[in-house]
Amino acid sequence: MRSLRHSCTVAALVAGLSLATAQAFAQPAGVLRVAVGADPATFDPAFNDLPVGNAVDLAVLEGLYRLDLQNNAQKNLATDSSFSPDGKVFTVKIKTGRTFSNGDPLNAEAVAASFNRMLDEKTGSIYRGLYASLGTIKAVGEDTVEFHLAEPNGHILMLLANTAASIVNVKALKEMGAEYGRKPVGSGPYMVERFVGGEGFRLVPNPKYAGDYPATLKAIDFSVVPEDGSRMALMETGAADIVERVPPESIEAINALKSAKVVTPPSMFSINMEMVLRGPLADPRVRKALNLAIDRDGIAKGVLGGLGTPSVGMVGPGTQDELRKTFPLIQFDPEGAKKLLAEAGYKPGQLALSFTCPTGRYIKDVQVCQALAGSFENVGIKATPLVVDRGTWTKVVGMEPAQRTDNMGMVGRATAGMDYTLYRLFFTGVGANRTGYSNPRVDGLLKEGRATTDPARQKEIYGEIQEIVWKDQPFLFLWYQTQAIGVANRVQGFAVQPNETLVFDRVTLK
Amino acid sequence: MVVLRRIGGALPTLFAVSLLVFLFVDLIPGDPAQILAGPTASNEEIESIRKFLGLNEPLLTRYGHFVRGIWDPAAATSFRTHRPVVVELAERLPNTLIVSIGGLAIGVLVGTLAGIVSAMRPGGAADAAITVLTLAGISMPIYWLGLLCIWLFAVNLGWLPAAGASTPLHFVLPILVIATRPAAMFSRLVAASLTEAMGKDYLDTARAKGLSETRVVLAHALRNSLIAAVSVAGVQFGGMLGGSVVTETVFGIPGVGRLLVDAVSRADYPVIQYAILMFAVFFVLINLVTDLLTQWLDPRTRDQERPA
Repeated sequence: MRSLRHSCTVAALVAGLSLATAQAFAQPAGVLRVAVGADPATFDPAFNDLPVGNAVDLAVLEGLYRLDLQNNAQKNLATDSSFSPDGKVFTVKIKTGRTFSNGDPLNAEAVAASFNRMLDEKTGSIYRGLYASLGTIKAVGEDTVEFHLAEPNGHILMLLANTAASIVNVKALKEMGAEYGRKPVGSGPYMVERFVGGEGFRLVPNPKYAGDYPATLKAIDFSVVPEDGSRMALMETGAADIVERVPPESIEAINALKSAKVVTPPSMFSINMEMVLRGPLADPRVRKALNLAIDRDGIAKGVLGGLGTPSVGMVGPGTQDELRKTFPLIQFDPEGAKKLLAEAGYKPGQLALSFTCPTGRYIKDVQVCQALAGSFENVGIKATPLVVDRGTWTKVVGMEPAQRTDNMGMVGRATAGMDYTLYRLFFTGVGANRTGYSNPRVDGLLKEGRATTDPARQKEIYGEIQEIVWKDQPFLFLWYQTQAIGVANRVQGFAVQPNETLVFDRVTLK
Repeated sequence: MVVLRRIGGALPTLFAVSLLVFLFVDLIPGDPAQILAGPTASNEEIESIRKFLGLNEPLLTRYGHFVRGIWDPAAATSFRTHRPVVVELAERLPNTLIVSIGGLAIGVLVGTLAGIVSAMRPGGAADAAITVLTLAGISMPIYWLGLLCIWLFAVNLGWLPAAGASTPLHFVLPILVIATRPAAMFSRLVAASLTEAMGKDYLDTARAKGLSETRVVLAHALRNSLIAAVSVAGVQFGGMLGGSVVTETVFGIPGVGRLLVDAVSRADYPVIQYAILMFAVFFVLINLVTDLLTQWLDPRTRDQERPA
């Protein structure tokens, strides 16, 4: 009897302790403090264009799909999907019984309304063009959404997994107006509790969340600190657990701290000098000579302070890696460059080229431009770097090739998937093809690749396209950006996507 | 009456400023639609956003829309956030005013005291030290001084927060940093005016009445010395509002200056236009207050205002 009583007491104690432990694990704990450099004016996914905004949208809203840490599309709200036999209707089944944080149902109707709102001309979304191929979206019952596509698109999952395709609560949006951009009502694990424009914002757990990534933190406090030195000071004083965009010169100082280290995950941001393919640059020998004249390793180590990897392919790592193709690094060969220029008919000093660079848009952009000018001079080209403010740079690199008075422009690209990136840059005559590139074989392949849903065939098609582009060299291929983020030792489970989105799914604090 | 007349006189100035601001902002390189659409956007997409923002309208129509936005918040919304610009400005203005007014107040106080000390013992050790400090205060760029102060007081000593604006403590460093310039200016100005006033006959009369030297300086000489200082304070305050761009960036303070910098880099025309117009209104008001203060301190200027 006594033994039974003892056993019962022990069992009760164990059960009680287990329950307490389970509750302790279930309850999010700790406040994570994040210092970011850019001010996210809005979290409305139809207008947000900053990685920090993507990070918030990923935590506060949900999409049908979401990108994993290798940029692969994974199911989120979606449970199943299929194309109609003619490839014109894409049907997605969604989880039922889900709600937004304000209690409104998140059903097929809400999903369709969210997409149709983004595609409505009156909304003025900056992503309307990117998603135009989705056509019209219809709800069928509670759990089925049909995309009646404007054109067959074998890359639809990449589009749907982007945070721009997150599901917004259109009903709440109509009531809140522009304020929705600050406190979006979503179905994600967190909600925006506070937003002070220019200063910061706070995310807290969404009690109505029912997905696979429940909140692990009591709160995430973001502060907006644009000045690099001040932001690094927050890390050094322990006032921030994560600091975004550590400049190369501060990496050593942060690594010297006992409390934090700099992590350098890869970024899909591919930085190139995009050539205007007319005049001297219409000649492939000149383009090849320019690519040979560059010491990519030297730039990556000496100028970028290690925050760059020399380019070995058209698109950056993480841009649909299963379709991405890389090539041997273009070796630094100034003699070969001189030879090719001579073959093209240019004696030393005869060829003059100018190139447009932004100020402060990319890591050490101005210094890289000066280094490039030196490299060109080294092989006998008269080089004029045109370093301009961001507004002028946007205008110049966005001009039609015929209007350009310079020969090249520095541009970084990190876009949603292979099709989107390559089609817009290299299909003959499309409004975003700013180099004037035209290759009938590439055009045919790009069209076929867009309409193909078979992954094996897609791999073949995009492999060939990348091979042709790499050989044609319409760009001066430069580097892939490396992210540098200061992370305190007490932070566990922090991750970053190649598109520079901070991921807080599994973060805990020691 | 004088106030009303002065405000009436400022209206043409404000009209000219509104026209100039509108036209100059329109001339800034870069197309807002293109910046919003991103570098991979096609011409058609950019055109669609341009249409949505109303950038295709004729210049005069857009100017009319801009003027209407002065009293109708719904007509003046940010290109980026779509919120009324007046709301954006109202949220940020208190922070800018706290730093600017706080900086000016501390600057005036410290500068005046330092000026008095210098004038009471010209050539002494205190005067020499104040001269060195004022030279440093005038010549040190605010940006550099701000970063130095963060390094010393936040990183090394850990006394104050490095950046942000969430608590009153966050404002201490920026206010002290921004106060250096007016303090230095006032110190030199007050010292020079006081030294000049000290030899005047009316002070001998005051001394002859048996007043202490401190009383003579504070009650008689200082009031006259402050007349010039008030005009300088007005100009300094205007300059501090303009300089808020730098201070707010260094210390991560969400003020109008930061809002303006962000707006310029993203070609958010309405925010730039209304923020500059607001600064222009402030300048006009500061001038008015300065003039009124000068008239109060110096009755002779009041006489000049009387109609003949």
